[in-house]
Amino acid sequence: MARLRSSAWILAAAAGAAFLLVLPLFGNDYVVGVGLTVLMWIALTQSWCVLSKMTGYISLGHVVFYGLGAYLVVVTWQQVPLALAIVGAGLLAAAFAALVGLPVLRVRGPYFVILSFGVAELVKFSIMAAESAGGTASRILFGAPDLGVIYFAMFALAVAATLLLMGVSRSRFGHGLRSLRENEEAAETLGVPIVRYKLLAFVLSAAIPGMVGGVMALRSTYFVVGQVFDPMISITVIAMAIIGGGDDARGPLLGVVFLALLSELLWSRAPLLYMVILGSILIVFVLILPNGLAGLLARQARSPTAVAAKAAR
Amino acid sequence: MPFLDVLTSGQLLFAALVTGSLYALVALGLNLVYGTMRMLNVAHGDLVMLGAYAAYWAFTLAGVSPLAAAPVVAGVGAALGYALYRGLFQRLIGGAQIDAGRVEANSLLLFFGLSIILQNVAALAFTPNNRAYQYLDNVVRIGNVSMTGNRIAVLAIAGLTCIAVALFLSRSVAGLAMRAVIERREAAYIVGVDVDRVQWSSFALGFGCAGLAGVLLSMLEQFSPFSGFPFTVAGFIVIILGGLGNLLAGLLAALLLGVIETYGVALTSANLRSVLLYGVFVGALVLFPNGLLARLKGRR
Repeated sequence: MARLRSSAWILAAAAGAAFLLVLPLFGNDYVVGVGLTVLMWIALTQSWCVLSKMTGYISLGHVVFYGLGAYLVVVTWQQVPLALAIVGAGLLAAAFAALVGLPVLRVRGPYFVILSFGVAELVKFSIMAAESAGGTASRILFGAPDLGVIYFAMFALAVAATLLLMGVSRSRFGHGLRSLRENEEAAETLGVPIVRYKLLAFVLSAAIPGMVGGVMALRSTYFVVGQVFDPMISITVIAMAIIGGGDDARGPLLGVVFLALLSELLWSRAPLLYMVILGSILIVFVLILPNGLAGLLARQARSPTAVAAKAAR
Repeated sequence: MPFLDVLTSGQLLFAALVTGSLYALVALGLNLVYGTMRMLNVAHGDLVMLGAYAAYWAFTLAGVSPLAAAPVVAGVGAALGYALYRGLFQRLIGGAQIDAGRVEANSLLLFFGLSIILQNVAALAFTPNNRAYQYLDNVVRIGNVSMTGNRIAVLAIAGLTCIAVALFLSRSVAGLAMRAVIERREAAYIVGVDVDRVQWSSFALGFGCAGLAGVLLSMLEQFSPFSGFPFTVAGFIVIILGGLGNLLAGLLAALLLGVIETYGVALTSANLRSVLLYGVFVGALVLFPNGLLARLKGRR
């Protein structure tokens, strides 16, 4: 039964990936743009899960890596080869995570949640202050690569983030992370190197959003600091992960597809209404469906017929 | 301004006191809900924002003075707190014992959803523009410090409310019950404190304080649907620096934050106000990594 369901999952994921891969061949710019958005959220949400879902350290500041990556690419624009700049964006984000990780990850529970938000806002306002002190309110990018190139780069990042989460989820390292999520003291007593594990998970979860930010910066010719450090991005990532639920790389995919469609329908036309709906969805899922869509599917699979089939075996 | 002039300026000291007293009132409400139920209300600042709109509309549409509107807004805020407790948050927590980790994470996400809803409903209903009105802006001079009437009123009302709540918590039976729940929840339950009543009344009192703080905010400066969150952040800083249930220390921490913000901006530039606020916030959390829960546990 379980094997059947997981092969259904693999089939659906492979079909989805194949569809997204050939999308630019026949889709117009609007459709490709939607596909790009979906891929971006997949990359961001899966990388967020590497720290936050695995360890329970819920980060409200994932956007900081995205923003740093975008900022690096924009600042080095036409001075450094673009591919190098994007790799550098990932390295910068990872280095930032490594730098702040030790003090920040000592803070637990809800304090970590608000601290992660505070760190992201602090970086945003610091860069804003630096930019306005330097006299640059915004920057303009000429000669960015065309949509197809951006799309395939994002496709690679989305696949990389999904494979990263799958790899971490199944590894010994991943089980260590889960054990410290359930009980940090007990995990430490059993010999899980919690400080090292948390830091490694944080650094791993930072690199991909750094590169995603760098790639997305190319999408518009106009760069504003407030936009690439918009807390909305962190909020959307959390909402997608919670809506998706589950404990591995599948749940977030469900959440991304669900919310990306909703936001495509509403965000550009009625952003305020979209936010109201997003807040309501968050409340409904926390109260009624804490295990998300993945949990709902799993519950369906455990329905009387499935249980009977299992019992008969 | 030269450094020494800034430090000795009575004008700045007064500004710091006004900001600090408003922060103290905001933090008081946040502290009550966190203390009795271990819930971090990230929507607290948005309630402040709603209070500001209530006072704004009462003044501009009906000509009601904010001073007269204040008790009504506080009362409506309290009623809203009661309703939210009964409708949403009561089901998250059990009786005597709290599974702290689960409640904290879930309530944070609930409040977070609530915060998003309040901000955007306000923006839909009232437009996202900044609002402000003129009230009591006559200048009073004491020595070489000139103060406007609205700032004096804010300082007086916020200060008196904090003192009144402090007296309530230390002198009345209901207040003592509240403090008992904050300090030793299980023990309070065992000796017969009606924990449910303490919880709804602290929700009501906390939300009422937020509404009142909103009225005072509207008298001081312009605000928008998104003005609330910085107050939530300021409230968190005060709680982290001051201490859970420790009102005197909270008051001092709020004044300290007012001083840091006012003098920091005067010495550098207004662009750095947010950097300062979040800098203090991050610094305070990193220095007290486990927040106050751990400190309380350590005392036991």
